[in-house]
Amino acid sequence: MTTIVRLTHAELRKLVASRTYLIGLALSVGLAVISVAVNAATAGHNGHAALGTAASTDKMLKLGVLCAVGMLVLGILGSGSEYKYKTIIPAMLAGPRRGTLVAAKVIGIAVAGAIFSVLTFGSGLAVTVAELSAHHFHQLPADTGTLFWGSVVTGTLFGVIGVALGYITRSTIAAVVGAVGWVLFFELAILHTLVPHMAKWLVTGAASTLTDPGVLASKALTPAAAVAVLSTYAVVLLAVASGLVLRRDVA
Amino acid sequence: MINVDHLTKRYGPVTAVDGLSFEVGPGRVTGFLGPNGAGKTTTLRMLLGLAAPTSGTATINGVRYRDLPNPLRTVGAALENDCFHPGRSAAEHLRIMSTAAGISRSRATRVLDIVGLAEAGHRRVGTYSLGMRQRLTLATALLGDPGVLILDEPLNGLDPDGIRWMRDLLHQLADEGRTVLVSSHLLAETAQTVQDVVVISHGRLAAEGPVTELIQARHTDNLEDLFFDLTSDRANNRALEVHSS
Repeated sequence: MTTIVRLTHAELRKLVASRTYLIGLALSVGLAVISVAVNAATAGHNGHAALGTAASTDKMLKLGVLCAVGMLVLGILGSGSEYKYKTIIPAMLAGPRRGTLVAAKVIGIAVAGAIFSVLTFGSGLAVTVAELSAHHFHQLPADTGTLFWGSVVTGTLFGVIGVALGYITRSTIAAVVGAVGWVLFFELAILHTLVPHMAKWLVTGAASTLTDPGVLASKALTPAAAVAVLSTYAVVLLAVASGLVLRRDVA
Repeated sequence: MINVDHLTKRYGPVTAVDGLSFEVGPGRVTGFLGPNGAGKTTTLRMLLGLAAPTSGTATINGVRYRDLPNPLRTVGAALENDCFHPGRSAAEHLRIMSTAAGISRSRATRVLDIVGLAEAGHRRVGTYSLGMRQRLTLATALLGDPGVLILDEPLNGLDPDGIRWMRDLLHQLADEGRTVLVSSHLLAETAQTVQDVVVISHGRLAAEGPVTELIQARHTDNLEDLFFDLTSDRANNRALEVHSS
């Protein structure tokens, strides 16, 4: 087995052994199921679109945000907690070539992110299909497939972005505060307000294209372009993180 | 064999390690001694690739740590006794490390047994006492059955039984032909554990060699007196004069 395969196996084992991933996954799946059930229950009431309409089903399938937020936090915890608990020391003793170590972490979280997103969106989709079938609706909107893989890609890339933020800040709290501050203050409050035509090029804009049926339908970006935008953010942040991990001493 | 050659580490204006050179050979327990802030831990971190030297080299069997093909099988290192995720059990921690190093899972069970944690191996590390964490740190170091052991303050947190157990284990490991480098500031305990010493002060080498020979050469009575003789301000001033000339 090559070093990168061994280290990636170790990263996946860490995710399972610390239980945070499993609890996060259970929480995300639970929230997806509850969200769909609540949307189904309120459909046709108080101005909400009637059950079985494309608008109602699209609303039920806006599950990508759960994948994105969940994996962003898990990615941050995956790398930031290595410094919090000093497990970065045994990790670097086992894998002293730091570039390989970072690559293994990224591959591990990407695999975990894909599984997390498939299960989160998949369980929400299953409940959606069950709700619709129970009311004799047997057709899903045409963009369901795009939303499914869009949510999986978004969850996976947000996990990678989280890993990069954790390595850059070496602190789970600083990384979470930084990510929330960036999204809520810098992107949503400032950039979306001041330069709305640029919003599609932001992290939240590209993620919305992949996970929000309304934004997807507006064709602001094609799904492929949105994946490219999100991937670029992930790669740039990872490049910064890798540079810092390679150069910094471990205290 | 551990070889440190003109190793220097500067943090801005502060020189933590200053042109340090020494060798540690196999088959003996070597103490790495120095006052707090002397540069012991920084030296060990450079030796293990965790910190980059400003200049000089630190090698193990002639190879930099990061260039070792499977480092855990060559070097067992125990730097701190709190490098564990508190939510994982000792067995899980060792399984993760053995997976990363391509070592069999049965070896993880074996080292838990060696350090006396077989029964507590499935408890979360967050519930461990300091002495138990120290034992787990050593178990991690022994995981790859390495020929070189580098242990930073391994006696900290151990009760008298634990100290005796650790001393016997270190002697046994050295008798098996391994290179054992032990950093400590517990001089009385170290005196009963090590055969050789490397003493540093203010980042520079103060002395190295067999303890008995150094005690005779410096006309001191024991390791403690030798240590203070080598690391006192007067000794440091003498060393500075030699260094600057």
